[in-house]
Amino acid sequence: MRKLICLALAALLMLSLVPALAEEITIAVVPKSLDNAIFLDAKTAAEEVGKELGVKIQWEGSTTSDAAQQVNVIESLIERQVNGILISCNDADALKDVIDRAVDAGIFVGIFDSDSPDSKRAFYCGTDNYAIGKLSAEYMMEFLPQGGKVAILTGVLGAPNLEMRITGFKETLAAANSPIEVLPVQTGQDDVQKSVEVVNQYTAANPDLAGWFFDGGWPYFADPDALTELAAFVEKGGKIVSIDTFHPMGQFIPLGMVDVLIGQDYFAMGRIGVETLYKLIKGEEADLGVTNDKVKNYIDTGYEVVTIKNYEEVWANKKPW
Amino acid sequence: MSKSNNFGAGVPGLFRKLRQASTFNIFMILLGMCLIMTFAAGNKFLSVSNITSVVRQFSFYAIMSIGMVLVILTGGIDLSVGSVFAFSGVISCMAIMRWGVPVIPSVLLGILAGAVFGLLNGLCITKLQLPPFIATLGTMSIARGLSYGITGGYPIGGLPDSFKFIGLGSILDIPTPIIWMILLALLFSVFLRFTVRGRWVYAIGGNEEAARISGVKVNQTKCLVYMFSGMMAAVAGIATAARLGVGQSTAGSGYEMDAIAGVIIGGASVSGGYGNIIGPIMGAAIMGVLRNGLVLLDVSAYWQQAVIGVVIIIAVSFDKLQHDRKSASISVSK
Repeated sequence: MRKLICLALAALLMLSLVPALAEEITIAVVPKSLDNAIFLDAKTAAEEVGKELGVKIQWEGSTTSDAAQQVNVIESLIERQVNGILISCNDADALKDVIDRAVDAGIFVGIFDSDSPDSKRAFYCGTDNYAIGKLSAEYMMEFLPQGGKVAILTGVLGAPNLEMRITGFKETLAAANSPIEVLPVQTGQDDVQKSVEVVNQYTAANPDLAGWFFDGGWPYFADPDALTELAAFVEKGGKIVSIDTFHPMGQFIPLGMVDVLIGQDYFAMGRIGVETLYKLIKGEEADLGVTNDKVKNYIDTGYEVVTIKNYEEVWANKKPW
Repeated sequence: MSKSNNFGAGVPGLFRKLRQASTFNIFMILLGMCLIMTFAAGNKFLSVSNITSVVRQFSFYAIMSIGMVLVILTGGIDLSVGSVFAFSGVISCMAIMRWGVPVIPSVLLGILAGAVFGLLNGLCITKLQLPPFIATLGTMSIARGLSYGITGGYPIGGLPDSFKFIGLGSILDIPTPIIWMILLALLFSVFLRFTVRGRWVYAIGGNEEAARISGVKVNQTKCLVYMFSGMMAAVAGIATAARLGVGQSTAGSGYEMDAIAGVIIGGASVSGGYGNIIGPIMGAAIMGVLRNGLVLLDVSAYWQQAVIGVVIIIAVSFDKLQHDRKSASISVSK
């Protein structure tokens, strides 16, 4: 019996390797984790562009956001000799060595979303997180010229991209001498339920609150009915600026429950990432973005800004989840 | 002594037993915290909307803790509850939105999924003799993986109002999750105190071998408590999906620790044999009031975790000291 199971497992393993050998070019796309819905747009874009170019796209990753597990994933990709890897790093330093090993093994490595700048990766395409924090602050100042109390909701504490957004937000307010008072940061720990509860309780507890800055769109993954306090808050004239523009979030714009959504372009990250890797693998000339004293080969994928004015147009082009 | 069964006797002397039970200390701690919060935050804390919000928030954890305490009473542990929470929520939402199943059968399907995972845990532990930690670690991964697999990671929204009522509605101005919590607490209190199976749960946790020799169906009872734990995780997961109006494969990540913390703060013994149903609810309430308090008092998120840890240790130490003192005075008076 045990022998039979072993044989079956071995056969399964072999079968899973066959397609990898049959295709001409294989590019593996590795998100921070499989449990994070924000990477789904990048997956869709990568698979679309893969079809256009005749490249096999493999969506692989660890089940949770864990650097050590991600290292294992990359090691298995090196073993399988894929042609290219597009990865979003859980940790810049922890992934550096294994990325270098992949490059030494002749695999082209590009990074999207979250960089490992000191590695031998060919390029990094992603959002300028400081810039979207800055832009959020500029909108907030426009909404609240007289100042007022503004609360911040964040996700996992210490995540470099989220901290950069908060820094961009706070520094911009300070630089402009804005009368806006920023309250202590609150967290929903990347969890929709916890985010909804914190936002509801904090809004209720601070009747003089004038604005919310969500540095990620967690509360908007819930149903509008779940955000009763927030609905009352905007009714009283409260202003909300939120990062992210994922499909389920769209319904909150016509409801007036968010004033501005600023989205990272995961479609562009997936598309540009795979296209650039394809060119490198084929030996064609590729645009690797800018290099300056801060970054090397950085392709800015920009961001999109959605308000009630352009909402219908933008959402018409989004694929429903 | 500390492992004596406080609920072995019937109704007479119930009050005296309650006072002796750790629940009394825990209740005092909760009351103390509420008093502190009232002084510190005043009306912000005491407002009906805030209290309702806090109780609704912790009721989801409390429901999971009710299932967890049964498992912990037998000396086991169930790490799979957070993942089963997600899986059951997702299954119910998929059934409604993708498979066209009416709401009530969809909810039952979700609870059934929780029961199946619980049974799987029970069978792995009793038949395969796996340690509960390992068996439930495995099913934790399976349930989470299946949730990702069947949804592709996408959240399932657009749920009908009749489903959302389970987590978002209210009956006589009481939010529905609070009602589920109270009903389930009553149901399982009766189970533990007044049924033979319930007594067996304590017996197994007290001394498994002795229980087996005295004719307790150990394996069957263990399977039953893991099934209950899975079903409670399912109820909490479905109620949460209804409360948020969205079923997500990522829901409930790490909630197993919240459920276990609720049980331990509630005064149950990790090694089994000692505890009750009210304790975990108090434990979940303490966590809920604490989290709410930190938000109301404008404590920065960067410091909240540390404060929560300190308060938990103080609360449990206070409870333990009081408990030991009582045990000592009882043995002296004997």
